[in-house]
Amino acid sequence: MPIEFFAKVSVFCFLASYVVALVLDAARLLKRWPVARWIGLVFGLAGFAAQTGYLLIRGRQENLPPLLSSPHDWLLVLAWIVVLLYLFLTTVDRELAVGLFLLPVVLLFVGASYLVSKQPNPLIAGNRGLVMLHASLLAVGITGVVVGVMLSVMYVVQHRRLKRHHASQPGVLLPSLSRLARWNWWAVVVSVPVLTLGLGSGVALGLTSQEAGAVLSFTDPVVIGHGVVWMAMMSLFVWLLTTRRSTGRQVAALTLWAGGFLLAILIGLQVLSLTTFHSGAKTSAVPRPLGSGLHQFTFGPLPDGRGTALRGTTAGGPT
Amino acid sequence: MNLQVVYCNHQSANLSIRERLAFAGDQLEAAYRELAGRFRSAEFVVLSTCNRVEVYSAQESPDAAPTRKQIAEFVSDFHRVPLEEFSDELLAETGPDAVRHLFRVASSLDSMVLGEPQIVNQVKEAYRIAQEHNACGPLTHAMFQGAIRVSARVRSDTRLAEGRVSIASVAVSDFGRGIFDRFDDKRVLILGAGEMAEETLRYLCEEGVRQVTVVNRSLENAEKLAAQFASVGARPRSWDALDEELARADMIVSTTGASEPVVDVNRFREARRRSGEKPVFILDLGAPRDFAPAIADLDDNVFLYDIDALEETCDQNRKARHREIEKAQLIVDEEAERFMQDVYHMATGPIVKRLREQWHDVSRDELERLRSKLAHLSPADLETVERSMERIVNKLLHPPLEALRHEAKSGTPHGLIDALKRLFHLRD
Repeated sequence: MPIEFFAKVSVFCFLASYVVALVLDAARLLKRWPVARWIGLVFGLAGFAAQTGYLLIRGRQENLPPLLSSPHDWLLVLAWIVVLLYLFLTTVDRELAVGLFLLPVVLLFVGASYLVSKQPNPLIAGNRGLVMLHASLLAVGITGVVVGVMLSVMYVVQHRRLKRHHASQPGVLLPSLSRLARWNWWAVVVSVPVLTLGLGSGVALGLTSQEAGAVLSFTDPVVIGHGVVWMAMMSLFVWLLTTRRSTGRQVAALTLWAGGFLLAILIGLQVLSLTTFHSGAKTSAVPRPLGSGLHQFTFGPLPDGRGTALRGTTAGGPT
Repeated sequence: MNLQVVYCNHQSANLSIRERLAFAGDQLEAAYRELAGRFRSAEFVVLSTCNRVEVYSAQESPDAAPTRKQIAEFVSDFHRVPLEEFSDELLAETGPDAVRHLFRVASSLDSMVLGEPQIVNQVKEAYRIAQEHNACGPLTHAMFQGAIRVSARVRSDTRLAEGRVSIASVAVSDFGRGIFDRFDDKRVLILGAGEMAEETLRYLCEEGVRQVTVVNRSLENAEKLAAQFASVGARPRSWDALDEELARADMIVSTTGASEPVVDVNRFREARRRSGEKPVFILDLGAPRDFAPAIADLDDNVFLYDIDALEETCDQNRKARHREIEKAQLIVDEEAERFMQDVYHMATGPIVKRLREQWHDVSRDELERLRSKLAHLSPADLETVERSMERIVNKLLHPPLEALRHEAKSGTPHGLIDALKRLFHLRD
């Protein structure tokens, strides 16, 4: 199929597909309807194909891999990875109700992509390798956090069912508490170091940019926000490794809080940056380097003084 | 003729009521003595399991039959539970409905878990105990033997007994598997050594359990049960080791017949203090309950299920097998109808016998008179005449007997029986 076939695909196309897939998954809660699962899977696959085509077109337009392009593309790449996970798990286990937990996160990412910039990052030209490493590590780390949050929600739902003596819904089964707790532990233990490396590469990127004339401001609210999030995740990480008598429910609750906080900050700062820092970036020809919110701490105040985004960068503006 | 069952079960009363009304094994002798004292000519069978408390009664004469109220008063007095506390939960069926109810119960159609095999054994055991106490009579014999036969037919003619057919299997597959991934590395504690414990243990072994401890008040019974499962390393322990085993266990299945909880909150709190907050799955199949309900709230990792907690899961199991239920229900209805016809027909037996005897007596008298008057007849001629007279009597008897049989299909034909008595001067 030629890639031009996807030229007219819009974000709304795959967003709508995912909404339908989620509704069909939710319908299985009300009534056992095996065909709903298959129809949902078809919608999920259709959305995934459309999203893949859309990202390829975007990559061709910007002449950059989507991961390195704008915040818009970066969020869509995150959503794409989560959809891939959803399709894989749904295909492998027909009873697992994974769509109910993963698709809302996909909708959150895709919905947020509407609100953030589509401008590519001008710094990539000079630091492509480091930026790629930074963006990749953050994408993997955040996917790990998403998985951890999903497992935590599953744990809470399963725990509640078992405590309240509710029968399991045929066709909408959840893994056992012991398996969820184990997977959750691993999701946090793997994703936090990856996130840390992602942040470290972001600092390195900032310092490199500083050498090139940019100013790194640690008082930037974006920097502070992500620093707090990272500290929360790191605290959870340390607690998990050092506490011997933690219960699955405690792990799930803390993961839910820390992971939920991370996602809220990630999306929130991306969206807010559109009207504060990023709007400045667009007009002052000082765009943000990457789609990730977490990399934004590498920027100082804008030249017009309206924010604390990248300062002194003279790299090219939006294409 | 009066057949009646007064009962409460898992559908009409919750466990907190049922456990107060249950007749423990050692209470049955006193119960039958009390029933015999109150209702001298009635037949009784008391069926008491974790899911039901049922008192079956039968009486030839409807006038002397115990009423629902009288049975309820007996239960209330016996257990010292005020009648108003359970009166609404106590149901009653009479006549064909009582028979149908027993057939449904014995066929496990009325059980929480459809097709479970224990109930027919419990019915047989209740019937045996009633016989031991001389509480049975012709009607209860016929009813319970019929129920056992119907149960066997339902099991052979339907697929009701396939799949998950024990409370343990339903509970473990839905809740146990929701807590644990695997069972081969879990320590299982079985409290009690009766039939339910054996059934549960058999299922758990199929699920891969490899570390089993049986604790029972009678160590001898624990040893017997453990010996049956020696291949999976089941080991018996005395009742003194209960606290130690409570702290070690990941899964606890309790099936004792104790009349009070054997594990209270403080005892289990102490066990949790020693075990840490590891997940523990407790399946309390006792009625009365063996574990105090408040134990479920001790911490997040205690998952306690009593019989009533399995209701929703069992309902789903039931819905999934509705076609087999319909088939089984047809068998029960057919057998109940046949049983009632037999019972009604049995009621017409004495009158039919008397009518037949009376008419044959008349024909024999006439034959003797003929024989003395017609001495020239050869034995062959006399035999021909005798046969002819027999045929005449049978042909004359046929219409009234056929009418009786027809009427007996829908109940004891009291009107017709009275008419025959008056028309032909038949006496009781």
